[in-house]
Parts: sequence; structure tokens; C-alpha cells
Amino acid sequence: MTTVFDKTQSRAKGIHIQNVGKMYYPPNGDPVEALKPVKLDIKPGEFLAVIGPSGCGKSTLLNIVAGFEQATAGSVLVDGVKVDKPDIDRGMVFQQYALFPWLNVRQNVEFGLKQLKVPEEQRAAIVKSFLELVGLQDFSEASTHSLSGGMKQRVALARVFCTNPSIILMDEPFGALDALTRSMLQQELLSIWQEYEKTVMLITHSVQEALVLANRIVVMTSRPGRIKLDMTVDLPYPRDSKSAEFRTLEAEILSELTDEIAKSYGCNPPSVTAD
Amino acid sequence: MAYLRHRLRGIGPYFIAGLSIIFVWQAVVELLHPSSAILPTPAATAETLWTLTKSGELITDIYASLSRVLSAWLLAAIIAIPLGLLQGTNRRFERVFEPVVELFRPISPLAWIPLAILWFGIGESGKIFVIFIATFFPILLNTVSGVKSIDPVMIRAGRILGCDTSLKLFIKVILPAAMPTILVGLRIAFGTGWAAIIAAELVAARDGLGFLISNGMEILRSDMVLAGMVVIGVLGVLIDSVFRVIGKKVNWGAQ
Ligand SMILES: Nc1ncnc2c1ncn2[C@@H]1O[C@H](COP(=O)(O)OP(=O)(O)O)[C@@H](O)[C@H]1O
Ligand SMILES: [Mg+2]
Repeated sequence: MTTVFDKTQSRAKGIHIQNVGKMYYPPNGDPVEALKPVKLDIKPGEFLAVIGPSGCGKSTLLNIVAGFEQATAGSVLVDGVKVDKPDIDRGMVFQQYALFPWLNVRQNVEFGLKQLKVPEEQRAAIVKSFLELVGLQDFSEASTHSLSGGMKQRVALARVFCTNPSIILMDEPFGALDALTRSMLQQELLSIWQEYEKTVMLITHSVQEALVLANRIVVMTSRPGRIKLDMTVDLPYPRDSKSAEFRTLEAEILSELTDEIAKSYGCNPPSVTAD
Repeated sequence: MAYLRHRLRGIGPYFIAGLSIIFVWQAVVELLHPSSAILPTPAATAETLWTLTKSGELITDIYASLSRVLSAWLLAAIIAIPLGLLQGTNRRFERVFEPVVELFRPISPLAWIPLAILWFGIGESGKIFVIFIATFFPILLNTVSGVKSIDPVMIRAGRILGCDTSLKLFIKVILPAAMPTILVGLRIAFGTGWAAIIAAELVAARDGLGFLISNGMEILRSDMVLAGMVVIGVLGVLIDSVFRVIGKKVNWGAQ
């Protein structure tokens, strides 16, 4: 437990997704194949973005990695250990923020630390520093209802990073935010990630978001999802979305995506945008 | 000051409603001239209320009824909340328990009076049992719905933030998340329990507001009957408003 917030020690871990597939068996209806077996190795410290048409199984894959859902084929290994249930060592940032409304901002951030039984004094110091990191030090006693969407997601970021997990999973975390707030939070996430060296797996439907943040981008096919394109992005940070290299990559990913969306027409409306 | 004005605005409608009822009541008396044994005037009822207050009788009756409702309600809460939490989280338990509940639920507390007397005699416990029946189901049903309407993402957040046993998840997430709805159930239950005191005190009671009413009927004192009714109505509103204030606080500022 001494390593919980020792940031000098990088605790990033790799994720091995070994032919993970998922069938859903709705009680009244035909089985749904949400995910075709996917093989994907994510290196420690990598920032992976997953893009794909809506309904292609991105959330399903992330939820299996988180341990919320069980794969019906293959398995996920983290540091050689099979994932079968959620663990505080893999943090999750939800699109719906998922803050606890009966707790104030400080208590929300503190939640995971309390479960880890971090002593109170130390806990207070960590919470304080992470609230400062996301610029919410003046809101520590505020109720979560009084916060804007962007502030709520900042609390969620502080809550997940302060327990020093080795992996951070994000399911369209900024999807519900306006464009300006979104790009601010992207920059904040980027600087936290650079400071704390976590392995990040981010689901997004925005090609631009993926290119601003990730050093590896995976494009999935329409349902049942498979990996269609696996691309390493070695543009230096901070990335300039107006640069020629950025534009070229953006166009390449977009064209792959557009094909998939065209295929999924008729059953799933496209939700992929170039913004 | 603003707080006081806010409070008054809440009470205002009740004040107007009370005045309107007295007005209509008075108008009926003026127009139809019923004998005072059938419908006494508001003034005569108020006088009776005053007499009952002075003699201490009313306080005794209020105390008797309130403590019965309170005991029954607490007992129901202690039993119904855990059962509701279990039913809301455990499918297998729900499949067995829900039909049982649904079979018992339509049976009015009134129907239990004969059995209550047979089982518990004519003492306090029989009365508490009848009120218990009236308070049990609202608490149970609201607890179940409170648990079931928890956003699944809250549960996931709790689990991935370290609630690695069902017990931790229960205490840290499920219970607080369901609490606003459980409190609604407790409030409604106190109301239905309060309304059931008449039934509970119908048989072999020597005090209580229900007794005041049924006794008033027996000795042909309709002013006492009405006085009892007025007290039940006013106290019911007052108790309910206390619950509402608590309920707002525990709604985690959502509204
Ligand atoms: N619990 C479930 N039961 C049945 N089908 C499901 C369930 N969850 C997801 N699906 C289906 O699996 C597919 C993939 O879902 P999801 O992973 O949420 O897609 P994405 O996140 O890429 O939009 C969708 O077609 C969805 O309808
Ligand atoms: Mg999704």
C-alpha cells in the first residue's frame, strides 16, 4: 500500500487482450455477437484510443478489460493475471461522470483512497493535491449537483488518478461536453498522463480527440467489431491539429471509418464525426 | 427572512384550505340547520377542542395514538427495509418473495382486526399490529424500487473504486443511493399508519384519537367526533411536512 501515490515509481502495466469475443444472450431474443475475437497488446504507458462506429462493441471490450463483464471467448491479462472482476488498480472514467451525489467533491475524490485504507492525514494531502491538479481546490466542499459537466468530469479524473492505478480506462469521457470544455479537458488529461505515466485505453468517436491524445489508434469495424486498423502515432505533444501530418492521419482514419459506417447503415446510424 | 418567507409560502395553501373548509362547513350549517347532534358548528367543535385540551384528555389521546403509530412504523421499517434491500438486489429472493407480498398487499389493515384480537388480545400489541400492516408495504415497495432504480453506472463506479465485497458495496453505494426513495416510503408509511389509527383503536381502546372518535359516536357527541377528525388531519399534515424537510435534505440536493 506504500506505492499508492509514489509517483516516482511508474506503475503502468500492459494489457493483453487475447482473442476476446463477446456474445450476448438476451432472455427474449436472438443471441447478439457484440465482439468478434479481438487480439490486442497494449504496452505499459501506452495511450491507446479505440475508434469505431456506434454499436461496434467498443464499450463491451472496455467493460471486459475493466472486469465488469465476462468475455465469452478468450481472456484479458494484466501483468500476466487474468481479469475476472473490477479492481481499483484499473481506474475507470465514465461518460456519465458517475459521481456519488450523496458525497461532496472532496469525499468523492477520497472514496477510493478510503477503500484502500490510506491513513486520514495522508488521504487529505493526496485529495488536496489532486483537487489542485484539476483546479477544483475551491470546490472541495461543494455538492456535485452544483458543478458543470466539465467540473464533474474533473472530479472524476481526480478521483481515478489519486489512487494511482496502473491502468486508466475511459469510455467516451468527454462525449457529453461542449467543444471548448472538451478540448480543455483533453489538455488536462494529457498533462496528467504525461506526469503520472499510466497505461490509458480511451474509447472515443472523435478522430480528432484520438489524434490529440493517443500514441496508438485502433479502428474497429462495424458490429460485430474486429480491429481494422492499428496505427502508431508518433507526433510530438502537444499536437497541432492544423499541421499537415495531423491532417494526413486524420484523413486516413476518417476514410477507414467512413467505409465502416457505410457498411453499418440501415442497422446503426453513424455517430462518427470529424470534430 | 427569506427562509421564513419560504416557509410561510409552504404553509399558506394549508391555511387557505383550512379556512375554506371552515367556511363551507359553516355555510352548510347555516343553510340546512342540522341538529347539533348531526353536525355541530365549527365554533362548537372548536370549543370542544378547547375543553378537551384543557382537561388534558386530548394530549393523552394524541400521545397514545402517536406512540402506537411510531412503534408500528419503526417495527415495520426495521423489518421492511432489509427485506426490500434483499428483494431489490437478489433475483432469486425476489421471485419467491414478491408473489407473497402481492397476495398480502390488497388485504386492508381493517381485515386484520379480528385476527389481531385473536392473536394479540385487546392490549397494545394488537393495535400496533394493525398499524404495522398499514405501514409495512409502502416501506417495502419503496425500498425495492429505490434499489432497482439505482443507475448501474453508480454500482460499477463503486466496484472499481474498491468496493470488492457485496457488503462494502451495500454500505457505501447501494444504501445511500437508495436512501431518498426509502425515505419517501417511510413518509408515505407514516401517513398510512396515521390513517389506520381509527381502525386500530376501533376495538377495546381506552385512549387515542381513534377512541375519541368512536367513543364520541357512542355517546352521540358528534362535536367530539369532529374534534378528533380535525386533530388527525392537522397532525397528519404537520408530521408529513417534517418528513418532507428531512426528505429534501437527503435527496442529496438533487431538486
Ligand atoms: N446487455 C446486452 N444485451 C444484448 N446486446 C447488447 C448488450 N450490451 C450491448 N449489446 C449490443 O452489443 C453491441 C455492442 O455494444 P457496445 O459495446 O455498447 O457498442 P459501442 O460502445 O461500440 O457503441 C451493440 O449492438 C449492442 O446493442
Ligand atoms: Mg459505447
